[in-house]
Amino acid sequence: MRDVDAGYGAVRVLHGVSIEVREGETVALLGTNGNGKSTLIKCIMGMVAPESGEVFLETDGTRVDLTRKSTEEIVSLGIALVPEGRRLFPKLTVEENLLLGAYRKGARADIERNLEFALDTFPVLRGRRGQLAGSMSGGEQQMLAIARALMSSPRILLVDEPSVGLAPILVSRVIGKIKELKEQRQLTVLMAEQNFNQATKIADRGYIIVHGKIEFEGRSTQELRENELVKKYYLGV
Amino acid sequence: MFSWDLLANAVVAGLLLGGFYAAVSLGISLIFGLLDIANIAQPAFLILGSYAAYVMNEAYGLDPILTGILFTPVFYLLGALVYRVYYGSFERRGEESLRGLVFFFGVLFIIEVSLSLKYGVDYRLVQTGYTGKSIEFGGVGIAFRYLVPCVVGVAMTIALYLFLGRTFYGRAIMAVSQDQGALRLMGADPVQIKTIAFGIGIAAASLSGALLISIAPVIPSTDRDYIGRMFAITVLGGMGSIGGTLVAAVILGVVESLMSTFFGPSWSLAVSFGILLAALAVRPAGLFGR
Repeated sequence: MRDVDAGYGAVRVLHGVSIEVREGETVALLGTNGNGKSTLIKCIMGMVAPESGEVFLETDGTRVDLTRKSTEEIVSLGIALVPEGRRLFPKLTVEENLLLGAYRKGARADIERNLEFALDTFPVLRGRRGQLAGSMSGGEQQMLAIARALMSSPRILLVDEPSVGLAPILVSRVIGKIKELKEQRQLTVLMAEQNFNQATKIADRGYIIVHGKIEFEGRSTQELRENELVKKYYLGV
Repeated sequence: MFSWDLLANAVVAGLLLGGFYAAVSLGISLIFGLLDIANIAQPAFLILGSYAAYVMNEAYGLDPILTGILFTPVFYLLGALVYRVYYGSFERRGEESLRGLVFFFGVLFIIEVSLSLKYGVDYRLVQTGYTGKSIEFGGVGIAFRYLVPCVVGVAMTIALYLFLGRTFYGRAIMAVSQDQGALRLMGADPVQIKTIAFGIGIAAASLSGALLISIAPVIPSTDRDYIGRMFAITVLGGMGSIGGTLVAAVILGVVESLMSTFFGPSWSLAVSFGILLAALAVRPAGLFGR
């Protein structure tokens, strides 16, 4: 993503944002509420059209411009999003939610294998396959949202605020699962998160976004921890 | 004048009628129950299906059910087209609620009036090889004229149930009104999904229309007898529940049959709606609503 300006109507949220995620990395996008993390993620997924700038996916030297594609087309490239607020289908069962995750053509052949994998990874879902997604607890819903994204056999997993609304113990479990999945499925992960301590546990490196601008790029979690902005915003030092 | 024979006959006739009512209501169960589109023109497509069966029978002597099946692709496309017009003119601009209702009201009238102009207001009926036949079990008669539509209706219900639960398109149809944005994230285009669902809903109505004209005579304004019934069945069964639609259809069928046997046919609709109101007071989501 290079020099992206984006917003909603007259309100500009992102100002000249450039970030890069390389294959196999886990990158954290850090920032408190209202700084543009979700807008940035939505630009990648084609849910918000950038006013200017580039968003692209480069595979083996071929470059695909994502700004001209619909969300559906971007998903079919193997990019999956675990959206903010989970966005499950509350009146469908756990299993129906999972199977919908495999809607994209490229994932249908692997549906049985992916379903088994998802249920093995999140055993709590196995016993609740027939339960309506809306009737589960927040932590279980977050697990389901991640499992549903995995059903699409993604190469790249975007996760938007997985910790929101969860008890601290669940936050570290969810974050731990993301790390585990990343290693098992050789995923590339971009995670927007305001919980600095949890996010830096699993990230290789990260960006700090403040008022719609990338204010700091940390090449390691060590660099992030020692950064002044982090001390100011997160650690209260 | 009560007799057990009369009661048994009324119940069986009601069960058969219920299977047919299920067929009539499936389309609106899909369009109103799952897509949240108040398509009040649905019964007009039912009658359009009846006239297709009538015309093909007059011209080529075709069996109405065969016509109904042959015409499903035509009505599917017609339904898809109607949805696209509705989507482009109203839904995309967020004006679907009231103006959309007016649009479908207009479609209802156009179809009804067109049929009246072309075929007049005489009652039309299609006779089939089995129309007069029946079998009897211990004093209970089963008329083929009701049995065949019931079997077709139950088959349609099962087919739709399996389609929704077992296919990717089906599951996407169940999800689309809950969160369109999330459906996009699954890689599905909500407009395409709704177009498919609407097309299937209209095709189901047309096939039921072919069943209708083999049961009872039809005029262009017969749609008015069905508009209340199909919405009542959908709501009673639970919005979007296909199994619930069949159960509600059978309940209404049996009640109507009992009422018309023992108290006269004019009571049947009033009692059907009475049941609907009572059921909703106890279970607002309908019998099988999620």
